[in-house]
Amino acid sequence: MTEDWSLRPDRMTPTERMKALLSGKPVDRVGLYPFARGFCAINTGMSPETFYEDPAASLDAQLWTQKMYGHDEPLKFGGACYGAWEFGGEIRMPTSEWQQAPSVARHPVQSEADVERLELPDVTKAGTIPRTMEFGKLQHATGLVCTVAMGSPFMIAGNICGVEKLTRWMLKKPALAHRVLRLATDFGVAVAKYWVDTFGPENVEIRDSAPTDSNQVISPKHFRDFPLPYLIALHEKVLAMGVKYIYTHICGEQNLNLPFWHEVPFGDPGIASFGHEVDVAKAIEMLGDKCIVVGNVEPRILQTGSPQEVYQRSRECIEKGKHAPRGFILGTGCELPPRSPAANLFAMKKAINDFGWYE
Amino acid sequence: MDSVETEKEILRGLGDAVIAYDEEKTVELAKMALEKGIDPSDAILKGLAVGMEEVGRLYEKQEYFVPELLLCADAMNAALDVLKPHIKLETQSKPFSVVIGTVEGDIHEIGKNLVRIMYEAAGWTVYDLGADVKIPRFLEEQKRTGADVVAISSLMTMSMLAIPEVIKPIKAYDPGITVMVGGAPLTREMAMAYGADGFALNCGTAVKETLEALGRVKGRP
Repeated sequence: MTEDWSLRPDRMTPTERMKALLSGKPVDRVGLYPFARGFCAINTGMSPETFYEDPAASLDAQLWTQKMYGHDEPLKFGGACYGAWEFGGEIRMPTSEWQQAPSVARHPVQSEADVERLELPDVTKAGTIPRTMEFGKLQHATGLVCTVAMGSPFMIAGNICGVEKLTRWMLKKPALAHRVLRLATDFGVAVAKYWVDTFGPENVEIRDSAPTDSNQVISPKHFRDFPLPYLIALHEKVLAMGVKYIYTHICGEQNLNLPFWHEVPFGDPGIASFGHEVDVAKAIEMLGDKCIVVGNVEPRILQTGSPQEVYQRSRECIEKGKHAPRGFILGTGCELPPRSPAANLFAMKKAINDFGWYE
Repeated sequence: MDSVETEKEILRGLGDAVIAYDEEKTVELAKMALEKGIDPSDAILKGLAVGMEEVGRLYEKQEYFVPELLLCADAMNAALDVLKPHIKLETQSKPFSVVIGTVEGDIHEIGKNLVRIMYEAAGWTVYDLGADVKIPRFLEEQKRTGADVVAISSLMTMSMLAIPEVIKPIKAYDPGITVMVGGAPLTREMAMAYGADGFALNCGTAVKETLEALGRVKGRP
């Protein structure tokens, strides 16, 4: 680590940096996407339950944390249970000190018969969407990009019927799996349209993440045959609405899926963030021609490692990613663990300061 | 074909049908095993369990994934339903017993379920507490059952911090209870630092790792 602890003053604001990256123009330095959710709650002394339930409080916690660390990531509302509550199930807010985020308490689909009865909900009223829209309106009023994070069709489908059921049906009753996936896709399209109609496509960022699409769950062959066509359909429809780019978190171990991810449209460029299981160099080789690559300090190291370890790992990521053809952003491999020491997030910032400038 | 050859064929067929997740075939062969007078315990341990061991290897080699493994377990369980009622009580031997659960704050239980399946396939008695298991429940269940092993799973970085809180009272109560830890965010080094006796990253190595940990714990003075 360098002896000089002072940070160079930025020459661009986060908004200017992201606009430049998305239009292929030079930026001052590598950006920072810490995927900070529950961390923002703890950082501001807020309960995780409030953070995930109260749009105004959530925005406030995220803004204070963003200003404190100067990161570039758009703010967002909600957890990773999209589909469960919206289709008629239940979710549970984080109330235990060990619970990281909202979780599915009851899947809306319990049986094969439930799949036949399943219908697309009114997205303006369903589940957590009204609160997410409230958050979007606060973002819009503050001049921020209006984000909606919803999950890949496969993740939504898993939240609707449970991953074990969904994956069993893939092999034994594929028509059922396809029906749930189709509804999950239609849901994603409807949510995106609601945001585009409300804020205009130029003010909207659609975000999805694909944890259950990973090879920790399914094979690349099944990824190709089940999630992939729906991901492509969802992204094509969203981009056809005039949305310029899609941010996708390609979560977990996805090395075997990478050739298929290249078939997915993200915009020109899109933004693809990767779990630590995918090497940054490999991520750039596979998707660097069409996406700004975000990656990928391992969350476990951020939670339990020292600032020196985080700094070193961040340096490695920056050195591999800095000259990616469409741009690179230093990020965490998944959500920043809420109880990560604050100095570990600073270590990422410091690594950018020391190795991430472009001249 | 003599009876020894027939028995070998049926046992091999049971294993192969598990690997092929062919539930109808495992049930058919389980019934045939009973008709031919094959000891149902042999049909389980030398047939079905051998197939599941190979399934574990295929999972480790990334040839099988979660859906295949679940269906292999379904095929095994369907045959177990046929065979178990015919096992004579005096010949029932369970090698070990384990209390298993996903730790408090974490609802992810696919990995835990896969590990449970591998314990069951190896003939263990499994007490599955499910997911989001409150910290004291692990020790309570061990006390109730006298299980040899407590196995704790976590997928989230936040919930993994609860694991040492589970282990401390178990080890304070009886250091001879073997504690296993597993889950994607963890490492062997961290599991040991948390006070566990063993670590398995996934179901493919869980039984082998647990047996080794049991050996280490029992070998202690």
